[in-house]
Amino acid sequence: MGRGYIVEDVVEKYLSNLSVPGASCVTGLLIGQSSSQRDFVVLAVRTPQKDTEGQGSPSVSRGAGNSLERLDVEWVTEHARQVSRMLPGGMSVIGVFLVTPPELSKEAQNTLRRLIFAVDKHISKGRLWSLTEEDVTEKVTLHICSKTRKVVCRTYDVRDPKSSAKPADWKYQSGVCTSWPLLTCSVGLNLVFPVLEMHVLPQDMEKCMKEGLQTWAKQIEDGLCLINGDAMPGEVELLGGQVKRSKFQSRSIHFYVVYITSGHLSPQAEPQSERRLTASVKVCSGSLTLKGMVQCRAYLHSNKPRAKHATEVIKRDVINTVSSRVEMFLEDLLMEGEDKGTVFVLYFSLGVR
Amino acid sequence: MVVGNIILRLRGSLEFKCQLDSTDVPHVQKVISRTFEALGSQVKAESLVLSLSSSPVFLWPNKGGHATAGEISPNRPCKDLQQLIQTDDQESSRKKSAKKDKNNPTAGIINLTLMTEVTEPGVLSAPTLLRGSKKHHLLQTTLPMDCVVSVLSSESISVVCGTLVGALCSQLGDMEKVALRHMKGTALLIPQPFHFLLPAPVGLVTVVYPAGVPDSQLETQRKELHSLFELPDDRPYLRRANALHFPDEPYKDGYLRNPHVHLNHPALENGKPYLVQGVYSYHHYMQDRVDDNGWGCAYRSLQTICSWFQQQGYVERAVPSHKEIQQALVEVGDKQGSFLGSRQWIGSIEVAAVLDQLLGVTSKIMFVSQGSELASKGRELANHFLSEGTPIMIGGGVLAHTILGVAWSETTGQIRYLILDPHYTGAEDLQVITDKGWCGWKGPEFWDQNAYYNLCLPQRPKTI
Repeated sequence: MGRGYIVEDVVEKYLSNLSVPGASCVTGLLIGQSSSQRDFVVLAVRTPQKDTEGQGSPSVSRGAGNSLERLDVEWVTEHARQVSRMLPGGMSVIGVFLVTPPELSKEAQNTLRRLIFAVDKHISKGRLWSLTEEDVTEKVTLHICSKTRKVVCRTYDVRDPKSSAKPADWKYQSGVCTSWPLLTCSVGLNLVFPVLEMHVLPQDMEKCMKEGLQTWAKQIEDGLCLINGDAMPGEVELLGGQVKRSKFQSRSIHFYVVYITSGHLSPQAEPQSERRLTASVKVCSGSLTLKGMVQCRAYLHSNKPRAKHATEVIKRDVINTVSSRVEMFLEDLLMEGEDKGTVFVLYFSLGVR
Repeated sequence: MVVGNIILRLRGSLEFKCQLDSTDVPHVQKVISRTFEALGSQVKAESLVLSLSSSPVFLWPNKGGHATAGEISPNRPCKDLQQLIQTDDQESSRKKSAKKDKNNPTAGIINLTLMTEVTEPGVLSAPTLLRGSKKHHLLQTTLPMDCVVSVLSSESISVVCGTLVGALCSQLGDMEKVALRHMKGTALLIPQPFHFLLPAPVGLVTVVYPAGVPDSQLETQRKELHSLFELPDDRPYLRRANALHFPDEPYKDGYLRNPHVHLNHPALENGKPYLVQGVYSYHHYMQDRVDDNGWGCAYRSLQTICSWFQQQGYVERAVPSHKEIQQALVEVGDKQGSFLGSRQWIGSIEVAAVLDQLLGVTSKIMFVSQGSELASKGRELANHFLSEGTPIMIGGGVLAHTILGVAWSETTGQIRYLILDPHYTGAEDLQVITDKGWCGWKGPEFWDQNAYYNLCLPQRPKTI
C-alpha cells in the first residue's frame, strides 16, 4: 500500500505538452505538499537548458551515446535549489520527473533514484530548521515514456540511502489547491551579528551570519504562533466548521517569539543556577546588521489540516525567507571581494516577495 | 500581606547587547546607560506581550491591556485572570492544604511571562544588510527580569498592565545602577533580582544584586536598605538566602521545609505558642544514603540547626555531613582521630562545639538534672524562641531531639513542646510525618522523668 499523489490537472497538461525532440531526455521538478495522509502535486517545471556554447546540453542528446549518462545532475539540483527558494511556504520540491524514449526506460529508474537523492540533499543544505518525526521523507519519482506517454510512479525514502522504490498512485484531479488556506505573517527583523576580530574575509562573514541566524532560527522555532490572534492547541482543526466554504481563505497570524538565550522555556527555571555571572565580551572587527521586515506566506493543504501544521509551515517559511535573503546578500558580498578595512557601509535592498 | 490583594509575578529575559567603541570608563558608562534606556523603550512598546502562564491568554499591556481570549476585556478585574489558569492538581485535597494557604500569603499568585511580538503590521520595509567595520567590544547577555506587584483584586486588567510595565521599567533602572556600580573595565556583572517579604508595613520588596558578588561584600548595600526600610540592624533580612520562596517553586534538594506549619497548635488556657522563626529543613535518619539508624539522631538535629542558619542567611556553607561533623570535632580536639567513621553518639556539648567551629555560631547550654524539671522551663524556652528563634537540640536519656517551639501558660504553668524527631526513617512524606507525630506537640511526659538533659540553644550572630 504505497502513497497516493493527487495531482493538479494543469500538471498533466504541462507534461503532455513537453517537447521532447527525438531520443532526448527531459528532467524536471514536481512541486507540492506532502502530509501524513495524502500528497499533493500542484506544479511541474522542467530543468531549463544549459547555455549550449561549447557545452553539451543535458537535455538534448548530441549524437551517439546515452543521454542519461550525460545528465548533469549538478545542474538539476541547482535548479531545484533556486526553485525551492522562490516557493511560498508549504510548497516544496517533493519529487522529480524524467521523460525518456522507450529504449531507456529501464535505466530511467536508476537515474531517477540518483536524481531524487541528490536533489533532496542539495535543497536541505543549510536548512536552519530541523525535520520532525511527523515530516514525510518519501519523495516521488515519475517516469514518462516519450512515445507511449505511459507514467510510472515510485517513491523513495530519502532518509534511508538504501531504500528501494515503492509503488505509488498518481491521480489527476481538477481544482486541487483552489481551497487551500493561506497563512500570512510579516516578521520584523533587527539582528546584529558580530564579526570577530579574526574574521575579515567574506567567507568568514558568512560563517558569522550563519551562526547568528542559527540562534535566531531556534528562537523562531521555539516561538509561539497565534492564528488570527488565538492560541489554538496543536490538534485543533484549522478549518473546523468552515469546510463547506470553497472560497480562498486568508488568515493572518500574529507571531510571538519568546526571547530566551539560555534555552529555558518555562518560567520555573531557577534564575541563579548555571548562568554566567558576567556579560559575554567579544572583540569584534565589525558587525553585520540585518534590519527590516519580511513578508511570509504559506499554503496548507485542505485535507483537515491542524493548527500545529499551520504553525509549522509558517515558521519554516519565516526561517527560509530570511535565510534565502541572507544567502543572496552573502553571494553579493562574496562578489564584492575583501573588505579594505575602512568604515564601509553597504546597503542591499531587495524587493518584497 | 494585604487581604483582598492579588500578587502578580512577571518573569522573562531581555536581551542586553551593546557595542563599546572604546574601553574608557565614561564612554562605557554612557553606552550602558543608553542601552538600558533603549530597553526601557522596548518594554513600553506595543510589541510587549505578557503570557499568562498555564493558559491560552496573552496580554498587550501597552495596547491598553488588550487580550487574546475573548472573555477577558481590559476593564475586567484582574482576579478574573485566575479563573483562566488551568491548574493540574485541582484534587490536592489534603486536609492540611487549606491551612497552608492561610499561612502562606503568596499562595494565590498569578505568573506571567514576558514576550515580544515580532510581527510588524503596517509599513513594509525590505530587509537591508548594513556592514559596519569599526573595531569594538560587543557586550551581550540576557537580563533575568523578575517583577512582583501586589494589587487590589478588583483592579482592572488595563491598570494592572500599566503597573507591571512600570515595575519592569523601575527594575531596569535598578539593574542599571547595580551594573554601573560594580562594573570593572568591560566586565559587566549580571544584575539579579531577589524578592523579600519584609515585616509590616513594608511587605514585598525586590532588590537587585550583582551576580557573583558574595553577600559578605554587599554589606554596604544592605546597610543602606536596612535604614531605608527601618529594619533592625542586628539580624539579616536581605541576604540572598532570605529571599522569598514562592509556593509554586519546589525546593530542589528534596528536604521538607517547616513541616510544623501544618499542625494545629495546642490551645492552652492563657497560654500561647512560641515558635522557631524562619525556615529550616527536616533532617532525619537514613537521609543522604547514610544509614545512621540508632546512632545519628544528634547529628540530624545538628543538621536541622545548620540548615536554619543557612536559610536565614547567616552562613553560605552547606549543611555538614556526618563525616564533616566528626572531622570538626577532631579538629577542635574534642575527639580523637579514631572517632572518624565511627558510629559514636554525640551530645549537646559536641553540637555546640561544631556550631562554633563550622558556622561561627555560639550557643547557650541549659542543663536539667531530671526530665521532670523541663516542665518548669516554659519561660526560659519561650524567651529563647522570642529573642533568638533558633531550633534547640536536646539530648538526654538515650535520645536526641529538636525542639521547635513551646506552648506555655504563665498562669496555669501548662506546657507543651513542639518536637521534630530525627529518629524517623521514612520518606519525605508530609502527611505521614505530621499524622504520626514525627513532627508534633508533646506533653511533659514525653521526657524521661529521671534522666538528665542538656539543651543546646544556638544564638543568632548580630549581623545583617
